[in-house]
Amino acid sequence: MLVQLNNIFKWVQSGGQRIFLLKDINLEVEEGEFISIMGPSGSGKSTLLNVIGMLDAFDEGEYNFLDESVHSLKEKDRSRLYKQYIGFVFQSYHLLDDLTVQENLEMPLLYKKMKSPERKAKVADILDRFNIVAKKDLFPAQLSGGQQQLVGVARALIANPKLILADEPTGNLNSTQSKEIMELFKQLNQEGVTIVQVTHSETNAAYGSRTINLLDGRRII
Amino acid sequence: MFKNYIKIAWRNLIKNKAYSTINIGGLALGMAVALIIGLWMQDELSHNNYFTSKDKIAQVFQSQTFNGETDTGPAIPRPLEKALREGYGDNFKHLIMATWTNDRYLKYNETSISRSGNYMQEAAPELLNLDILKGEKDGLREINSIMISESTAKTLFGSEEPIGKVIEVNNQYNLMVSAVYKDIPFNNTFNDTEFIIPWEQYLSSNEWARNAVDNWGNNSYQMFVQIADNANMEQVTDKIKDVKKSLNEDSIDFNPQLFLFPMKDWHLRSNFENGKQMGGRIKYVWLFGIIGVFILLLACINFMNLSTARSEKRGKEVGIRKSIGSQRGQLIYQFLSESFLVVLFAYFLAVALVLLSINGFNDLARKEIIFPWSDPIFWAISLLFILITALMAGSYPALYLSSFKPVDVLKGTFKAGKYAGLPRKILVVVQFTVSVAFIIGTVIVMQQINYAKNRPVGYDKQGLIQVPVMSQDFTGKFELMRSEFIGSGAVSQMSSSSAPTTAVWSNYSGYTWEGKPEGFQEDFAWSQVSPEFASSLNLKIIAGRDFSREFATDSNAVLINETAVKYMGLANPVGKYLKDSNEEDPAEPLKIIGVVKDMIAQSPYEPVKQAVFAYDKDNSSNYYNMRLNPDQSAGENLAVIERVFKEHFPSIPFQYDFVDQEYGRKFAAEERIGTLSGIFTALAILISCLGLFGLTSFVAEQRTKEIGVRKVLGASVYSVWNMLSKDFLKLVIISCFIAVPIAYFVMNGWLQEYPYRVILKWWIFALATVGAMLVTVITVSFQAIKAARANPVKSLRTE
Ligand SMILES: Nc1ncnc2c1ncn2[C@@H]1O[C@H](COP(=O)(O)OP(=O)(O)O)[C@@H](O)[C@H]1O
Ligand SMILES: [Mg+2]
Repeated sequence: MLVQLNNIFKWVQSGGQRIFLLKDINLEVEEGEFISIMGPSGSGKSTLLNVIGMLDAFDEGEYNFLDESVHSLKEKDRSRLYKQYIGFVFQSYHLLDDLTVQENLEMPLLYKKMKSPERKAKVADILDRFNIVAKKDLFPAQLSGGQQQLVGVARALIANPKLILADEPTGNLNSTQSKEIMELFKQLNQEGVTIVQVTHSETNAAYGSRTINLLDGRRII
Repeated sequence: MFKNYIKIAWRNLIKNKAYSTINIGGLALGMAVALIIGLWMQDELSHNNYFTSKDKIAQVFQSQTFNGETDTGPAIPRPLEKALREGYGDNFKHLIMATWTNDRYLKYNETSISRSGNYMQEAAPELLNLDILKGEKDGLREINSIMISESTAKTLFGSEEPIGKVIEVNNQYNLMVSAVYKDIPFNNTFNDTEFIIPWEQYLSSNEWARNAVDNWGNNSYQMFVQIADNANMEQVTDKIKDVKKSLNEDSIDFNPQLFLFPMKDWHLRSNFENGKQMGGRIKYVWLFGIIGVFILLLACINFMNLSTARSEKRGKEVGIRKSIGSQRGQLIYQFLSESFLVVLFAYFLAVALVLLSINGFNDLARKEIIFPWSDPIFWAISLLFILITALMAGSYPALYLSSFKPVDVLKGTFKAGKYAGLPRKILVVVQFTVSVAFIIGTVIVMQQINYAKNRPVGYDKQGLIQVPVMSQDFTGKFELMRSEFIGSGAVSQMSSSSAPTTAVWSNYSGYTWEGKPEGFQEDFAWSQVSPEFASSLNLKIIAGRDFSREFATDSNAVLINETAVKYMGLANPVGKYLKDSNEEDPAEPLKIIGVVKDMIAQSPYEPVKQAVFAYDKDNSSNYYNMRLNPDQSAGENLAVIERVFKEHFPSIPFQYDFVDQEYGRKFAAEERIGTLSGIFTALAILISCLGLFGLTSFVAEQRTKEIGVRKVLGASVYSVWNMLSKDFLKLVIISCFIAVPIAYFVMNGWLQEYPYRVILKWWIFALATVGAMLVTVITVSFQAIKAARANPVKSLRTE
């Protein structure tokens, strides 16, 4: 089991009242799955994804990742865990504006303290695989949205994660670009990478093996 | 990884040019000031380091108590030498008697120059660690020898071999050059000792000095010692402190206390108050040190504020980095490397600024500081300085920025300004508090100087020159020279005096007078003057009459000043007598014939001392005081005076001083402080304003959209400007409230040192406050008005 969420609650205090962002979420993700999370805006999809990605804390419940109980880990160990196993893809790409494509791709490897020759090889590898060798010295602002997201996915993938978390990865893209990214996800999934994506589009959701629906922080299917 | 950080930092610097300029420029200014002040402090603290035995060298000082007030000084009597050599010799490695440093004419062939130097005993070259370039180290052994400095040798002999040449000193005696020593560097006592003549020569050519061998009352000499290697200053002082008292009964009333004044204190801790050592210049070393730290702090605050103000931009980067695996420590490290880079740039710029300004600074501060290029310690300290500054400027932004939560930032709901607002405000308040305090301090220093400068000196110092006439050549020539000079038309009145008008050279006790209280230990400033003294100086006689050559009895007459009248408690001083208190063989009593206005001869900050001006009947003139002919230009007058002088004294260099300039030198120390603190204040304000300017532009940028909306809704330029300026103005007003009491407290303390001091007025503080507010408004307005006038349609479209 890759991810196991048991009775997860998350809330914020507002005017003496608890506002629930996640209510009693149970979810299991097996390795090799491709899951789509759907739901109206404000229903808690991003919150759930961030909890799975360990970027955000929850208030109640249990979370086991590869049989390690995330809720009892220290900040540092949690960061080690997601650094090793999880890659993020964001709706607005979130590339570092001041770094070139190549340098952006290199960044996660630097944080893993990988040696330079190995790093260079990996970067060259992924540039090649994503067909963006020609763009390697450009800055994000010089790329189209689709190309930026391609780099975003490449960056999420470069450290060989087991799990990719993508929050509306095609939200800012046109339909051709969307399709390209979804095809890429499908291919990655076939190669064994587990994917959890948030999406508004039925078409995109269909790429996944199953769909989870949220409403007001609660799972409805 | 470090390379990566530096790359990002570098690209950030390039991309935000305005921000980088403010940041690096401001820091460079701050660091340049800190560097210059550091070099200055180092120079002050290394004073006398030329002397290898600095820790073992001392001058013998003496404290004596008159009327309950203790005077401390270096003047000691001759018999002390014998007493110390015979009774305490093993405490000293070297002991030398010396005269005061004085000017002498040195003549070789046709070259005649005036140089300052001393008469000293044989061990002087050892004690002073003289670097002998030519000749012998024990060059003072022969009574007819003279040791001269390298530059003196060059001026006198050019390229000729100096050793063995004969120099005529003051047209009095001939001495043979026995050694040439390397000039003692600027930053040391004895720097102005350009020749040394054997003490024996001094004794043989001055009868009264020879006769003073057993006179404990004649405190006219100096004594320098190097204590034995195993001795320590306090212990030796303990042994010798009562030597004079025990050997000279007459002095018991004054309780003479001898002590060793260590060389390491000569420069920085030379103030004595009532017999106690009370600091000195060290105060200014501290003061400027604190100013340096504050100015650097101001620049660091700019860095902190601008970094955190930009946090919204940097926040996104923090979020991304954290989401791809960065830990907080790594981010802190990253931000610190960035500040290190900025500080490094600023440092090199600061070094350039220091190099550009060091000559000007040396002129202002009367220093000869050289940039220590080749000193490894300097570079080591510089590196430390860079690291400390980088930490000081970078740690707060690093801690702050790295604390962002990735979710907050990436969700886009993140508004940075809110969190950093308070610390930023506090830092701005700190900046302006320092600046306002500096403004007030500088204004008060300037006021005090002006106040003392405008104090009436009691005589007319304009158009008055004094010519030193200390050599034997002038003896008995006064009458002749006076008629020659006046006859030449360049001089309208001329007198002679035993001391310059701008100093007191002798003090005298030993008078009694009618009504003198029992046990009163009197002490007068004392000088001998020719009858024309008052008229040549335009010194007003306020009671009685001036000297007159008509009355033969005036040779035993004196003038006293107003303070002396009060001091002696005389209701009708004119016609009273000053009698010699020595009853066995009394000198003629001196008749007080007139009272002159108080004339400031010493410190313009202190009360005028009671003074006696005696008729000069034994040719003891050391100065001619000449009132220049007011109908001609000073230049014309001086040319004539020099020609007449040369006709009579062809071999003596013509020297003169304008009395008003000489008097002006009394303000030099305070004026230096005033000028320097003025410059530092200006820099502090500039740095603070740079920061404020940067902050406003960020705030305006952050609020572009809000401003756009407001304008669309009909807000005027004025109301937008008001909205942006108000916040900062509030901060500056708070700063003023903090700065005013601090400045008042500190400056009031500083003024207590000056008995004649300006009264602090409330308007100085009001002025500084208004000034700071004005500067703030102007600085803020640059950006505020720009933002307020921007086309709202444009700013709304940018989102
Ligand atoms: N820190 C927070 N404080 C208060 N409300 C929050 C916070 N974070 C998220 N929310 C609210 O929780 C709800 C779920 O947010 P989110 O997970 O971003 O929804 P989705 O991604 O499905 O559109 C929204 O109504 C949002 O306003
Ligand atoms: Mg969302």
